[in-house]
Amino acid sequence: MTKRIVAVILLLALIFSVAGCGGNKSTSPAGEKTGQSETSSPQKGGTFILAYPGDPISFNPDAKIDDFGYSIEQSLYNKLVTLDADYKVIPDLAKSWKVSDDGLTYTFELNRGVKWHDGKPFTSADVKWTLEAIIANKGVAYTNLKVIDKVETPDDFTVVVKLKEPSSPFISFLAWYGTFIMPKHIYEGTDWLTNPANEKPIGTGPFKFVEWKKGDHVTLEANKDYFRGSPYLDKIIYRMIPDSNTAVQALLNGEVDMSITRPPLSQLESLKKAGVKVDTFPAPSRYYLMFNLRRDPLKKLEVRQAIAMAINRKEFVEKALHGLGSEGWGFYTPAIDWAFDKTAKAPPFDTKKAEELLDQAGYKKGADGIRLKLTLPYFTAGQDWTDMAQVIKANLAAIGIDVQLQGLEIAAWSQKVGQNHDFDLALLNGFQGPDPDNMRNRFGKDGSIQFMGYNNPEVDKALDEGAKATDLQKRAEAYHKIQQILARDLPIVPLGEVVSLYVYSNKVHGLSIHPEAKGKITIYDFSKVWLSK
Amino acid sequence: MGRFVLRRLGTMLLTIFVVLFINFALIHLAPGDPIRILSGLDNPSEEMIQNLRERYGLDKPWTIQFLTYLKQLAHGDLGRSIINDQPVGPQIFEKLTATLVLTLTATIAAFVLGTVLGTFSAFHYRSKLDAILSFFAYLFYSMPSFWLGLMLMLVFASWLKILPTSGMVSLREQQQGLGYVLDVVRHLILPSTTLALVYAPVYYRITRASVIQTLDEDFVTTFLATGLSKSQILRKYVLRNAILPTVTMLGLHLGYVVTGAALVEIVFAWPGMGRMMLDAVFRRDYPLLTGIYLMISVSVAIAIFITDIIYSVLDPRIRYS
Repeated sequence: MTKRIVAVILLLALIFSVAGCGGNKSTSPAGEKTGQSETSSPQKGGTFILAYPGDPISFNPDAKIDDFGYSIEQSLYNKLVTLDADYKVIPDLAKSWKVSDDGLTYTFELNRGVKWHDGKPFTSADVKWTLEAIIANKGVAYTNLKVIDKVETPDDFTVVVKLKEPSSPFISFLAWYGTFIMPKHIYEGTDWLTNPANEKPIGTGPFKFVEWKKGDHVTLEANKDYFRGSPYLDKIIYRMIPDSNTAVQALLNGEVDMSITRPPLSQLESLKKAGVKVDTFPAPSRYYLMFNLRRDPLKKLEVRQAIAMAINRKEFVEKALHGLGSEGWGFYTPAIDWAFDKTAKAPPFDTKKAEELLDQAGYKKGADGIRLKLTLPYFTAGQDWTDMAQVIKANLAAIGIDVQLQGLEIAAWSQKVGQNHDFDLALLNGFQGPDPDNMRNRFGKDGSIQFMGYNNPEVDKALDEGAKATDLQKRAEAYHKIQQILARDLPIVPLGEVVSLYVYSNKVHGLSIHPEAKGKITIYDFSKVWLSK
Repeated sequence: MGRFVLRRLGTMLLTIFVVLFINFALIHLAPGDPIRILSGLDNPSEEMIQNLRERYGLDKPWTIQFLTYLKQLAHGDLGRSIINDQPVGPQIFEKLTATLVLTLTATIAAFVLGTVLGTFSAFHYRSKLDAILSFFAYLFYSMPSFWLGLMLMLVFASWLKILPTSGMVSLREQQQGLGYVLDVVRHLILPSTTLALVYAPVYYRITRASVIQTLDEDFVTTFLATGLSKSQILRKYVLRNAILPTVTMLGLHLGYVVTGAALVEIVFAWPGMGRMMLDAVFRRDYPLLTGIYLMISVSVAIAIFITDIIYSVLDPRIRYS
C-alpha cells in the first residue's frame, strides 16, 4: 500500500518537474504554417478573440487617460485624423484638410454618409461639441487643444478650427490621444463622467458594442454600415488575461488568436517555434536613465559623462530586452525620422575613460573599491524593468559606483520620483511622438514629466521656435538644435529604443502593418482583419 | 443568551467602525495620489489633475474626507469609484457570485480533504504514511499559489489538453442553461484545485494535532479497555471533540471567502473580487477600496459570531451568559 502511494507521488513529482521546463509539446494553433496574406483573399466571418491586459476604466474615450480603454476605443470610435502604424497622420472622419498660410486656420472636410451606431447621422456638430467639451471639461487632450480659439461649422460636413497662435504640432496632437469624436446627441447636457453611454458606448467605428462583463471580457460586433466598408470579422472578444504567462498558454492552446497582453520577452523564441507569429515594428518610445540634477555628485558634468560611458548597451539589449529593441544613442526617437538628429549621440562605451573622469572629479576609489553610492528607484511594472535596473547596477559597479536599487509599485514610484524628487538615478520610457514638440514634456523647464530638475533656456527657446515654425525644414533645425544641446548637457542617458509587438496566431491577417492595411488604419483598428480557417 | 447576542452585536459594530477608520487612514496616508496615477507618465495635464482632484474632494484633508464618507454611508450610499465613476455597491455586488463560486468550493474542498487526511494521519500517528502525508502538507503549504496554478495549467491545459486554460466560461462557443453550468464547472476545476491544495494543509495539521491530543485523553483509553471498536470510538466520541479547532478555523475562513484570491484569479483570469481589490489598491481607488474593506469586515464579524454560536452548540461546556 505504502509502496503504491510512493510510486504515485513520485510519478506526479516527475510530471510536474517535466512540465515546468522544456518547450511546449503542443501543436501549432492552426496546424500548417501558411505564408502571409499575399496569395489568399479575405474570408468573411469569424470571431476574433484577444488576450487583453485589463479592463477599461470606461468607454468615454476623452475624459480620462485610459491605456486599456484606448485600444478597444480604436474599434468603437474614430478621430478627425489618426496615426498609422508609422505614426504619420492619415485621414479618418476628416477626408482632407487645409491649413491657412498663417497657420491659424484649419479647414476639415468630413466624410459623408457616416452614421452613429444608433443610426443617427454624424455631422460637423459632433466634432464641434467634442472639441469644446474636451476643453471645457479639462479632458485628456486639454493641454494639446487649449490652443484652439473657436470651432465653426459652416455646414454639416465642414469644420473650421481657428487657433489662438500658430501651432505646427496641432494636427499631430489631434491625431494622437484623447481626441475621439463623441456623439453630441448622447452627451450634450449631461455629466460626461457619469453618462450611461460610458458603459454602453455609441461610436462611429467599425465595430459596435455588445456587452462588457467586468473583469472577464468585452464583446464587439461588426458595424455593417461602417463608412469605409463593413469589416470582415463578425465579432471581436477582448478577453481579460492580465498574467503574461497565462496569455502565452491561452495563445498556444488556441483559446485566443492574438495577445495584446505582452508575453514575457524570454518566451518569444519558444512562441515562434510553436508557429505563433511575432512581428515587431518601431515605436517612438525609448528607455532612458534620468539624473537628478539637484543632487551633488550628479550636478557635475564629468560624473554624468562617466556614468554614460559605463553603460554597456549591447548587454542592455541582450539581457534586459532579450534582443527585443535596439541600442539607443541619440536624444530623440529615430522613428520620427524627419526630426531625428543622428549626429547628436551619447558618449561611447569606455570604462577606462569613465574611471579617469571620476578620479578627476574627485571621486576616488575607497578601500572597498567604491567611489560613490547612488539610489535607483524603478517601477516593478514587469520583469524587463527589473532586468534593466540590474544591468545598470552591474555596469556602474564596474567603475566603482554602488547603485542601490529600489523596486516600487507605480504609485509609490510616481510620488518618490515625480513629486518628491527623492532619487539619484531613475529609469523611464514613454511615447515621444507623434510630434517632436513632445520633447517639451520631458526636457522643457516646466515639462510635466521632466523630473531631472533640468532648466536650459536655450532648449525652451528652441521648443517654441519648433512649435511656431510652419516650414518642416525650420522645425527640424530647431529640434536638431535641442538634441545637440541635450548631448552636451547630458540630463539623461539614452539606453534603448522600444519596439512594438504583435503576437498572434497564423490564422490572423490584415493587421495594421500587413500589406493590405498599411497606411490606411491605425494600430488597433481591426476593420481589415480576417481569419483564415 | 439574548443578552449575549446584544452585547456581541454592539462589539461587532464597534469593531467594524474601528477597522473602517484604520483602513481609511492607511490608504489615504500611503504614498501615491490616484489622480496622478490616473494621468500616467506619458503626457499628464496639470489642469486635468487639478480639476479631477477637486471633483472627488481629494484636495481636502483625509479626516474631513472620512467624515464626508460617514455621512454618505449613513444614507446607505457607498459613493462612486474615483476611477470609473460608477457606484461602488453594484460593482462589488457584481463580483460576488464569481468570487464565491471559486472560494467557497475551494474552502469546502480544502476543509474536507484536510480534515479527512488529518484524521487518517492522526490515527496512523508516526507511521510512514503519516510522514509522507505530513511532508506533502508542508510542501503545499509553502508552495506559492500562482506557481502551483501555472504548473497545473501547463500539465492539464497545455500538455494533456483536458481542461481549459483560463477564464470562467468558453468564449468561442457560448453555452446556455445546463451547458453553461457545466462550462463553468470545467473552468472551475483548475483554479479551485489550486486554492484547495494550498488551503488544505492548515486543516490537515490542525485536525491531526487535535485528534492526536484527543486520542491521548483518559476517556479514550477507558473506551478501548471496555472493548469498544476503534471506528466506533472515532465516530461517536473522538471526532466530535477533536473537530472544534477545525470548525473555528473553517468559520473564520468562510468569513474571508468574499475577499477572493487575487493571485489565483490573476493566473486563471478569473473575474473575482481579489483582482478587483488589487487593482483598486494599485490605483488608490479610495471609495471602492473602502467599500470592499467594509464588506470584508462585516463578513468576518458575522462569520466569527456564527462560529461562536455553533461552537457553543457543539461543545456543551461552553455557555455564554
